[in-house]
Amino acid sequence: MVQRDFRILGKKTNRKDGVAKATGREVFSSDVSLPTMLHARMLKSPYPHARVKSIDVSGAEAMGATVVTFKEIPQVRYCPRLVSVPSATYKDWLVLTGKPKYVGEPIAAVAAETEELAQRALEAIEVEYEHLEAVFDAVDSMGMEDLIHEEIELENEVLKVDKNIGCTLEITEGDVEEGFREADVVIERTYRTNRRYHNQLETKTAVVRPEPDGGVTIWSTTQTIHNSRLLIHDIFGIPVGKIRVMKVALGGSFGSSIHVNPPVPVAVALALKSRRPVRLSYTREEDHHDHSSYQMVFKLRLGAKEDGKLTAGHLDAILDIGAHQIQAYPLLGCVVGWWVSLYKLPAKSYIGRAVYTNKVPSCAFRGYGNPQITWAVETLMDELAEKLGIDPLDFRLKNYIGEGDLFWGQGPTVKSIIQSCGVEEILERGAEMVDWYNRPRPEEQTGRYRRGIGMGRGYHTSSAGAPVPSSIVDFGGAFLKLNEDGTLDYVTALMDHGCGTLEAHAKIIAEELCVPLESVNVITADTGTTVYDVCTHASRGVYSGGGAALKVAKQVEEKIREYAARMLDAYPHALKIYCDEEREQGVVTAEGIEDRSVTYEEIATTARHKNWGMIASVDSYRQPSCPPHFTGYFVEVEVDTWTGKVRLEKVIAGADIGTVINPDLAAGQIHGGLAMGWSMTTLEDTRYSPLDGDLLNRGFINNYKIPSTQDLLDLDDLTVFFADTYEPTGPFGAKGLGEGALNPVAGTVANAIQNALGIRFYELPITPIKILKALEEKGG
Amino acid sequence: MEINRFNTHIIPIRFDYHAPKSLEEAVRLLGEYGEEAQILAGGTDLIPKIKQRILEPKHVINLKAIPELACIKETSEGVKIGALTKLRTVELSTLINEKLPVLGEAARAIGSVQVRNRGTIGGNLCNASPCADTATALMVLDAVARIDGAEGSREVPIGEFFDGRGQTIVAPNEMLHELTVPNLPEGTGSAFVKVGWTTFDIATVNVAVALRLDDGKVVDCRIALGACSPAPFRVRRAEEALKGKELTDESVKEAAKIVSEHIEPRERWRRAPPEYRRKTSKALALEALTRAAEEARRLAK
Repeated sequence: MVQRDFRILGKKTNRKDGVAKATGREVFSSDVSLPTMLHARMLKSPYPHARVKSIDVSGAEAMGATVVTFKEIPQVRYCPRLVSVPSATYKDWLVLTGKPKYVGEPIAAVAAETEELAQRALEAIEVEYEHLEAVFDAVDSMGMEDLIHEEIELENEVLKVDKNIGCTLEITEGDVEEGFREADVVIERTYRTNRRYHNQLETKTAVVRPEPDGGVTIWSTTQTIHNSRLLIHDIFGIPVGKIRVMKVALGGSFGSSIHVNPPVPVAVALALKSRRPVRLSYTREEDHHDHSSYQMVFKLRLGAKEDGKLTAGHLDAILDIGAHQIQAYPLLGCVVGWWVSLYKLPAKSYIGRAVYTNKVPSCAFRGYGNPQITWAVETLMDELAEKLGIDPLDFRLKNYIGEGDLFWGQGPTVKSIIQSCGVEEILERGAEMVDWYNRPRPEEQTGRYRRGIGMGRGYHTSSAGAPVPSSIVDFGGAFLKLNEDGTLDYVTALMDHGCGTLEAHAKIIAEELCVPLESVNVITADTGTTVYDVCTHASRGVYSGGGAALKVAKQVEEKIREYAARMLDAYPHALKIYCDEEREQGVVTAEGIEDRSVTYEEIATTARHKNWGMIASVDSYRQPSCPPHFTGYFVEVEVDTWTGKVRLEKVIAGADIGTVINPDLAAGQIHGGLAMGWSMTTLEDTRYSPLDGDLLNRGFINNYKIPSTQDLLDLDDLTVFFADTYEPTGPFGAKGLGEGALNPVAGTVANAIQNALGIRFYELPITPIKILKALEEKGG
Repeated sequence: MEINRFNTHIIPIRFDYHAPKSLEEAVRLLGEYGEEAQILAGGTDLIPKIKQRILEPKHVINLKAIPELACIKETSEGVKIGALTKLRTVELSTLINEKLPVLGEAARAIGSVQVRNRGTIGGNLCNASPCADTATALMVLDAVARIDGAEGSREVPIGEFFDGRGQTIVAPNEMLHELTVPNLPEGTGSAFVKVGWTTFDIATVNVAVALRLDDGKVVDCRIALGACSPAPFRVRRAEEALKGKELTDESVKEAAKIVSEHIEPRERWRRAPPEYRRKTSKALALEALTRAAEEARRLAK
């Protein structure tokens, strides 16, 4: 029997970091200020593809600035993301380069007493460039004669690049040709996504202090302190133990700091050269020139029989990765994984190509390709249902992958069986709430404003765990000790991006050890004082990290029982632990024997006085699975056919996340996922000027629109509900949510727009401009 | 090398800062430093421009310490609005909302509350953006700008305030002092409509209308279009087309169509192609005319 009735989990509680954040006292990387610290700026290539012919830094040095250029930085080819094993990690980065491949690529950096002086020094550097041909479209890039990279590395072997293709993945399962022959209906469409900027609140920053022993201490925006340490070790050869990467609060990330950010090695180089602490903090415009999502072009073909069963699918995916790889190869695996794990496809074939362009490098962005491919799949599922004459919702229920089915969301090397599934509950409850079967028909609508209701599914893995070793590293660790007053100190390397992940860990520990939530202290730490955690990504914070927290809590509990048994003269297994709310303590009692009990404080104190030692545990933990958390959204939109603007009128969002640990924060994840998905569907794209190869907005966010709360909907019109499920492998039955909250949105909104106008769009974003154009072509 | 200069964070240039306490002092400073000076009002346009190095003034003259520049008052000539009046003040002013609701609507359409709490009506005009929402509204109100300079004051109708090349006619040694908005004849209906990509966004198109009916026929009609040419302007041909006519579906559609024929595409229109502006200017004109007519009919009762 599984526990479903909890003392703390699922209850609304105050956030431990709430006061610090609300009063501005939380320390983020850019708040770190050290005595004698210098301020750094990076010199970025103004050209999309060029070779530096000469660089003169004497003007900057004359101002007293410390300067480093590509000429004096270790020319070590590296990959900044260390989530996968080396055989899946292509390397093509240099800390500073003499052959910039996008507008914004760093070629030199300066450090000076003030940021203003550093800026003036930067402007005094003179560079002569030789221009090279640049390309801004992935499809065009494959036909280019001039290569963006001639050579890249894989496992220390040098590879020649062909046709600007960084890496390729092909997979076939079943007889695809036969599958399409069997189908009564086959539809193929080409989809083109946008390329979005993460717009995380905190721009990327690194503060580096050189230490007397030759090491460095680093405070930086990162999703992984341990991988930061490993990469700096690889590039600079500093012994691992002499590199300390500190945990500091992260002001949002959405995948943008899944890898080690360029400011980190640059600031290390400047700190080593100047022998002074250095802070390098991106301006918003630099941040905009640093990272973006992957733009993808899909050719997707699906076949189905008259009875509504899918027979086969083929997907051709071209990924525009920009100028460098940030582990595009595992992404190719994920794209096919996301695609085939939503609906049962008896036969499927896939070809994925990651292609270089002279654009800002693409990295993970909430959903890691899932929002993109799910948009295409959910759009095509609607279209197929329409052609088959089956209701789109019923069509999905006939084909979805659920409990007991094989699932390989994180790619072909990460397979497991689904053990909890709330898909039916989400779709049935949602359909009832939105009155799905009476939704409007596009052909019946005229007039300026048209109404549409659409639905779409989504899911994401919780972590990248698996029962067998895979190509993805996924484990974490935790340290927990019982203090002398009966409270607990919890230490983890896992980063909280601001989502309240560590809050969830504290709740899991408090639940397991029967203490008040206030008794669990989350201690700030660094690489030297924590065991390895891979990275906060893949919606693994609660499922994987919480799993590690639960593991050490159970070990601490065992020792508590052992010590209590000695004190109570009882057998450890006969002891009962409960939370004494009055004494605000965990209490151990011999079951059925009154008056024989001890508090945690008494246990810890006795253990100290009797020299038994401190109760503590530290361990690593890997999850045996990466269970999908499922989402299903229903939205109602109103389209203004005069201006092409679309308004959200009503949203019903269902999610299956197993046990809900933080109800408000979980609902908040869905609100955020909805906002981000709405923005992806209707607004965002980082466009490039063909004239100079720079971003059209030049990095200014006033020319990169995202919605405000006023552009979304009234919270009264947004209903969030959670399915009643329990994940057997999760801590207390919990799964993830962060990415699944976003993944269904684009498909759902696109389907609602189709329901209003009778028009399908195959290119994101669906802007007012495109809507008016399509309406004109359709004749109103 | 723009990428290494453009940013919204660092001001690496040096300038002298002045905060005159009176108009006379401000005018004197402008006379002295004019060409090398920039006026700081709300700062919502100036500061980003300095950070972006579009402007590199040697002197910055902050006008916020001059109290008489920030006020809204009723006079016999109409409503007078000081150039330093915050957009938020304009938006919330009872006087404006009663007498000149179209200006209140236009102010409310700008940016966010935070931006409107800093930005001023004078700044919105002097920035000379074709998208300035208050400019389009002031066009249909026939506002008059008072400009102060070393050689004295001059009054300029708002229709002549922009030079059509992305500048205003305010000389470097001059400053906008106040706007006078003549009282609207009784029974005037008005409306301001805008389309942008988000609520905080600048206008892709905006339209303001003020009109009056007599016995169901249009006796006074003013239509202004913004964001579709180097400066907002009055669409006289559309106004003429409606004068003396009854407001029917047909006549309103015809006028809206004329408005849409006045798009002057710019080479670097990134936000929306001319075709989109053409369609939406027609739609917005239709909406503004319909709403203004409804109000005029309501007032006539």
